[in-house]
Amino acid sequence: MAKRQLAMVMDLNKCIGCQTCTVSCKTQWTNRNGREYMYWNNVETYPGKGYPKDWRDAGGGFDAAGNLKKGEIPNLQSDYGVPWDYNFADLQNGEQWSPGEDPTWGPNWDEDEGAGDFPNDNYFFYIPRICNHCDNPGCLSACPRDAIFKRDEDGVVLVDLDRCQGYRYCIAGCPYKKIYFNPKISKSEKCILCFPRIEKGLPPACAHQCVGRIRFVGFLDDEDSQVHKLVKKHKVALPLNENYGTGPNIFYIPPTEAPPKFDANGNVIEGSERVPMKELESLFGPEVKDVVKKVRAEKEKKTKTGKSEVMDLLIAYQHQNMFRLDQDYYADVAKEKGKKLAPIDNRYSAGKFTKMSFKAVH
Amino acid sequence: MKRLTTAITTLAVAATSAAASSYINAAKVDTDVTAVGTQSQIWQDAEATQVIMQPQKTISFIDANANKANKNNGAKKAWVKAIYNDENIAFRVRWNDPSYDSDKAKASVTDFYPDGFAMQFATDYSDPQSLPYIGMGQPGSPVIVHLQKALSKTYEPNGMGKVDMQVDPSNANKFEQNLDEFNEKVDALAKEKYQRSFIAEGFRSTTEIKDGTGKFHSNMRHSDGQWYATLTRPLSDDYLTLEDSFPVAIAAWDGEKLNRDGLKHITGWTAVKLENSSDELAEAINAKSTGDPAAGKKEFDAQCTACHRYPGNDSAQPYAAPVLDNIGGYSTLEYLRDSMMEPSKVVVPGYNRNQHPNNPWYTVGEDGERASTMPGYVWMSEDKIEDILAFLQTLKKEAK
Repeated sequence: MAKRQLAMVMDLNKCIGCQTCTVSCKTQWTNRNGREYMYWNNVETYPGKGYPKDWRDAGGGFDAAGNLKKGEIPNLQSDYGVPWDYNFADLQNGEQWSPGEDPTWGPNWDEDEGAGDFPNDNYFFYIPRICNHCDNPGCLSACPRDAIFKRDEDGVVLVDLDRCQGYRYCIAGCPYKKIYFNPKISKSEKCILCFPRIEKGLPPACAHQCVGRIRFVGFLDDEDSQVHKLVKKHKVALPLNENYGTGPNIFYIPPTEAPPKFDANGNVIEGSERVPMKELESLFGPEVKDVVKKVRAEKEKKTKTGKSEVMDLLIAYQHQNMFRLDQDYYADVAKEKGKKLAPIDNRYSAGKFTKMSFKAVH
Repeated sequence: MKRLTTAITTLAVAATSAAASSYINAAKVDTDVTAVGTQSQIWQDAEATQVIMQPQKTISFIDANANKANKNNGAKKAWVKAIYNDENIAFRVRWNDPSYDSDKAKASVTDFYPDGFAMQFATDYSDPQSLPYIGMGQPGSPVIVHLQKALSKTYEPNGMGKVDMQVDPSNANKFEQNLDEFNEKVDALAKEKYQRSFIAEGFRSTTEIKDGTGKFHSNMRHSDGQWYATLTRPLSDDYLTLEDSFPVAIAAWDGEKLNRDGLKHITGWTAVKLENSSDELAEAINAKSTGDPAAGKKEFDAQCTACHRYPGNDSAQPYAAPVLDNIGGYSTLEYLRDSMMEPSKVVVPGYNRNQHPNNPWYTVGEDGERASTMPGYVWMSEDKIEDILAFLQTLKKEAK
């Protein structure tokens, strides 16, 4: 556990699956240098196989006794999907327009498919996923090289690219499969929670660009932060698959709004739940029942009385009121350490093992 | 009875392989050995020594598919030749590996692993009875490891700071000849060989040497189902001096079996003898316990199997302690003795303790000193200790 922990809350009722977050992350971090296939942020449709394909069945995380479980490393072609280029240059020679690959999977391959029979009881919702910057990261525990570390000042989990040798046990150990192998540099890379932005008081790109205003960012221990209020005070946000045992720090307001089901004659089935509670429980644990009740009650309260702190937060009237970050806090940390903040793990850079000056490398 | 037969069979195997791995004789030459290749004529006259590489089993990893692929690994034979002049020493290692796993043959994707080999050198081998821990050295007694993997074209993460060379070619806004030129410029930033030097004080502390010291030359060539690898390094550099007789250890990774990191075959320390050197180191490394392995097995089953597993006895719960499957194949007698008598003497950083928080192999004191969870067996009679050591030395795989 870090001294302080940054967290994000995503309101699934407001996510429209537009992938603006995905694109903002991609253009900022993963459109180059061996990261082309990676989606540090992706939005997947639930129910669905997700990205990478069937990540829920690929192991990792901790068992009840606290032992790290074995896992599998997804394959580029069959599980992640190869980013392909079209043959634009050949078109002028009369060639047909075609991708250079025969893709079989991709990050939103089963988008909007969901489950059930349209229109009677079909359903789906979106789950945007980034690295959970866990309290007890599976990736960190799996690494035999001490190459992954969790920053004390904000709990961001990072890969020290000097120490990483591309063994990929981290991928097996992460139950969310949110750490990726970069074949070009032969090292692992992952979501960095946009720490260079965070340190300047800006929210991560995925949260800043979100058109649905679903993402709140702040420190969990900051009682004035939106994330603290939603997670700790009102307890309406839950982590994804807490049962994996890693202590994830990305929280979700479960989907509470869906039309009722229809019977065979197309009539409304009163009091029916289109999104099965069983499915929500498999994602967010048994507490989700109460959370759904609570969020609906708050909505009711807001409608009737016009007053509800939870609803006022979730509506997010002002964009800037969704984030509580602190540039000065980071400036103080840097001052205390007597140097610039850097994305490195300084346990090994003191030169005990090498004469290398790390400044020359970074 | 069945157990006893197994013990006797392994003992017979042990006897044959002991004779095979005595020491590597390095021949002095007048010529330059820095640029020596795998097919160089110079190797014709050098003496080949057979060494046995055992599957590393002390710690296990969490890649389910890799564990499956390596479950029934036997030992591997390798043949080593060595030549040296006044400045440098060169080794040639040959080992069987039918599959050619290189990015030249297979696309380097998320679950591809290249073949590779490494040689480990001790910085301090002044006391032949107390060599650094075979698994990447130990605190206070670091090792230098030179590694090559069958990977061509890898890039530094920051691309030498050339950000404009990192964009995806399809985003480079260049076409035809301009695009070809761009790709050539990017290629020029790649390292053609995946060669690295490391310094380590026990596995997990392994740190790449990136300041230009720790230089070596190496080559790998795959031919007829075998790897031929050469490695040349200075007899003396900033980290160590190789003189008289010194220890080396060799590791090989098989990409087909998803090998990387500790998932590999390793030799124990093997003595390399320069001309006119003493036999002291070779004798210490090849020393055999005078005990009775059958009696040692009985004693071991009574004293040690609550925590340790070995082939045929997995009564200990998993992760309780290092697995001793092939410990006799890569440990010296004195290391085994130290581990029994003074377990805290050689506590390496070890596996990641977060993986199995309920079974810590060691505790860390306020001063940062690691204390082994295992009690020392100082109370045991010398005969019994010798018997257990003899039994531990039988724990290794047969090389085919």
